[in-house]
Amino acid sequence: MNKKIQRSLAVVSAAALVLGVSAVSSAMAAPKTVYLAFQAPLTGPNALTGQDELTGAKFALSEYNATNPSIKVELVLADDQGLAEVAAVVAPGIASNKKIIGLIGPAFSGATQASLPAYKAGGLALISMSATRVSLTDRKAAVNGFPIFKRVVANDQYQGPALARYATKGVTAPSVYLVDDKTAYGKGLADYTSPSLKGKIAGTDSVPENTSDYTSVVAKVKASGANVVIYCGYAPDAAKFVKALRDGGYKGIFASGDGTLKATFPNNAGNTAAEGARLTAADVPFEDVATAAQMVAYTKLTGIKIPGTYVTSTYNATNIFLTCIKQGKTSRAGIQNCITSGSFKGVAGDTIKFDRYGDIVGGAAVGAFTIKDGKITYVAVA
Amino acid sequence: MNLQVLSSQFWSLCLQGVALGFIYVLISLGYTMVYGVLRLINFANSEVFMVGTFATVVAQVGILQNQTNSQPLHGFRLLYTLAFSLGFSMLICGVLGVLVELVAYRRLRALGTNRLASLISAIAVSIVLLETTRIVTFSRPQTSPRLLDKWSFGEIAGANFRIDTVAVIVSGIVIFFALDRFVTKSRLGKAIRAVSMSEENSKLMGVNLNRVVSLTFFIGGLTTGAAAFFYTTVYETTQFNVGFNLGLAAFTAAVLGGIGNLRGAFYGGLFLGVLEQFASAILGSQWKSVTVFLVLVLVLLLKPNGIFGEAVQQTRT
Amino acid sequence: MINLRDKGASIWENWNRVQRTIFVLISITVVALMPYAGGFGPTSFLNTPISSYQAVLVYPIALFVLMGLGLNIVVGKSGLLDLGYVAFFAIGAYTMAIMGTMTSLNTWEILPFGIFFAMVAGLLLGLPALRLRGDYLAIVTLGFGEIVRIVALNLNITGGPNGVVGVPNPPPILGQKFELNDHAAYFWVILVMILLVIWMVRRFTIRRPGRAWEAIRQDEDVAALMGVNLLVYKLWSFTIGAAVGGAGGVIYASKTMFIAPDMFTFNTSILVLACVVFGGLGNIWGVILGASILGYLPERIRFISNARQLVFGLVLLIIMNVRPDGLLPRKKREKIKQKEAK
Repeated sequence: MNKKIQRSLAVVSAAALVLGVSAVSSAMAAPKTVYLAFQAPLTGPNALTGQDELTGAKFALSEYNATNPSIKVELVLADDQGLAEVAAVVAPGIASNKKIIGLIGPAFSGATQASLPAYKAGGLALISMSATRVSLTDRKAAVNGFPIFKRVVANDQYQGPALARYATKGVTAPSVYLVDDKTAYGKGLADYTSPSLKGKIAGTDSVPENTSDYTSVVAKVKASGANVVIYCGYAPDAAKFVKALRDGGYKGIFASGDGTLKATFPNNAGNTAAEGARLTAADVPFEDVATAAQMVAYTKLTGIKIPGTYVTSTYNATNIFLTCIKQGKTSRAGIQNCITSGSFKGVAGDTIKFDRYGDIVGGAAVGAFTIKDGKITYVAVA
Repeated sequence: MNLQVLSSQFWSLCLQGVALGFIYVLISLGYTMVYGVLRLINFANSEVFMVGTFATVVAQVGILQNQTNSQPLHGFRLLYTLAFSLGFSMLICGVLGVLVELVAYRRLRALGTNRLASLISAIAVSIVLLETTRIVTFSRPQTSPRLLDKWSFGEIAGANFRIDTVAVIVSGIVIFFALDRFVTKSRLGKAIRAVSMSEENSKLMGVNLNRVVSLTFFIGGLTTGAAAFFYTTVYETTQFNVGFNLGLAAFTAAVLGGIGNLRGAFYGGLFLGVLEQFASAILGSQWKSVTVFLVLVLVLLLKPNGIFGEAVQQTRT
Repeated sequence: MINLRDKGASIWENWNRVQRTIFVLISITVVALMPYAGGFGPTSFLNTPISSYQAVLVYPIALFVLMGLGLNIVVGKSGLLDLGYVAFFAIGAYTMAIMGTMTSLNTWEILPFGIFFAMVAGLLLGLPALRLRGDYLAIVTLGFGEIVRIVALNLNITGGPNGVVGVPNPPPILGQKFELNDHAAYFWVILVMILLVIWMVRRFTIRRPGRAWEAIRQDEDVAALMGVNLLVYKLWSFTIGAAVGGAGGVIYASKTMFIAPDMFTFNTSILVLACVVFGGLGNIWGVILGASILGYLPERIRFISNARQLVFGLVLLIIMNVRPDGLLPRKKREKIKQKEAK
């Protein structure tokens, strides 16, 4: 390649860098605008979770901006790829950017763990929509999120036993095969589910995320004679697993947690495989709780017909910040106070109030769902 | 350790392992063909596979207008749909393979630079393919409809001979032997082998080097595309990050058998498929990859060029 | 195409001792002041949007430079393709995490252990693997990298997927504190380590091991005929590379205070290898430049958010095609010899 092209490449890239800086700094200078950061995986292999959640935050924000408020709010996207090492670089940057007064996220527990020290030092309030690791709000843990960390999602301590109860409900002589996906989320949930199943576990396995072939697990489930299979992991893998189970001739119950509770699960699992699956979640599918008008607006804004997981919780988390900003709180300390002492409304009309260590008071209710005619159907509180 | 599973599920695991193995065989042909000719690991092959799975879905849902929840097809419509999506996926992957060669390898090959530059350049192409697909699909998994009703031929000793399992095995064998024949018997196949033996000498004999290399990438793409089609038909779902794990497994299979050697890829793929099934059944799925790599190290220690060695010559680096 | 590396070398060779010393001292001072460049007017364009500039300077940039130099010994100097280099980084990090939370030893006392364990791992892997040639070595090292990650994921002592929390920060040296936000202090520590590695590599290069590695890289068979003990020198290069990776891991764990298996994926190995090849295989200055750019770029272009990794891939592809020998290639002299050897 000739020198001209090389030189022009250099010019273009230099220009891009300079423009990028000015774009960022000019945006920061706009009057009466406050910034909320949104930290989740937006690129890389875990991007699905973050991109789904982002639609919830964007939608909440668009509703807020439609009311023509005196204080404008903008999102700063902090992509942590769901990885702790990236989060450890992003977090100090967000924490030292004084324009940012609150943070929606981080989405992943590992990334949260790595980000906490920086945010604690910066006094930045965060509300996570999907970090379910128990230790984050456990006052006895070596490192917890007190006082800045809050979450609008039930932690595994509540969900695990509920999942065990719901999965085995109405089964005489339950014999459970417990499978996790070897992620911090799946393993964590499985660890809090298994104690409630004492003596009923026929076998366990850990199938790493993104495995394509589940036939060997199916063989083991069949050999163990289990009549209940509990899967702790995310929807794309759960869909593959349940399909392999049904195709392999397994007739028992399939149950899973909030990672699976998204409309893409029955969709990906195909016509009949997911039918009757038992799912628990602190996260309610957004289309079930939002009004029809909201759903139309949501689809128009995002181009997505069926919202993914944690859209509801992200929407709620964003709205908590927006409520505080509406009350005129535009400093980090103000937001922190407002969130800690205030009481908020969730999209389903529920009341959200945080306890001292950041969980929702009364432990966010864990809902029980099933798949009926290819749709997620709410059953009861598990 | 879980040995009780072996008593009732032994043959079932074997059958499933062989079926999975054939998907590995088809992908690993993409690695092994290119390696045989260029002595380069075609790192972008896993992403070519990924694009192929999406091409299959596009063919079935987008072009032929099957709904995601439509009922299984029968008769002529079924054959036509499967044949069309297989052809579409193979063609897309074949063309993509050629493009990958043009973008990532052609210039570097002409300059005669070190092999690592090509390696990084191929990795860069895979990043581009992966991220483009991710952005286009909103990071979401895509489902292909269940077009093939999964009826079973029957069970033998606990192994369920389901139509998709049998179809993968039979077509895998057919594609492999067709390719093997092509490479050993046809004029172009001979040109490929000549280049893999000696670039310089084949040039002297009037072989158009660039055309042969493009052809090799095209054929590697075709088999990878076929693998993508079978993968999508069996598992009925795909995602932008599906390539890495399968690509790694297929590459391992190629090395196990002896990379650069078509038959090596064949036996390596089957061996790996069965090994993975038994490793995850007996030791637990979390130890599957560890077992595979330990076996790989052992095999390489005993047979430094893979089980079947290299067809053409010893590797030189 | 201009070979900047050669040009630089010829200027350097024409300098006398005093000029050289002054140049080195000035360069080190300038680099040591880098953490403040983000806040200093004329250089503030270096600032990274969203992520913290100073934190980026420590990881990825400085640690990538360190790992790149370590990997360069293996890949660049002796021509052994290692696709699992992150394993040694992980071993160092886990040594720090486990010993730091379970014993009362501090970071500086654990550092030798981290280096030692990484070297032992290098030896254990190298003994069987280094008998293999070329691409077989590549796949075996790749497998080793994955094995280390999966074992960390499966065992209890490593905290499984949750990793290890509460890894202690290092105690102060000479009054300089090492708290979470003292990014500059970590940068200086790693800078010292980088300088030590540069010094070590330069010593090796002009002595027997360096000549042996060069011989092995150019042609193994000839090297063996000339009486070079292949396995011994390959093992040397492998374990020294591992030691550098392990040392980086210890500092990293001690800085982030938290580690988990998903920090040590195949991607990191590939990225560090890309740094080495992108900058200039076998050339220290090239590796430093390459690692700085590839570590910095994804953070610098954060404002394009969604397409960030895509742009990264494109830049990598274009540069590799424009400058296949890297930004600063190794000496022409060596390349000519390489041609003759073919």
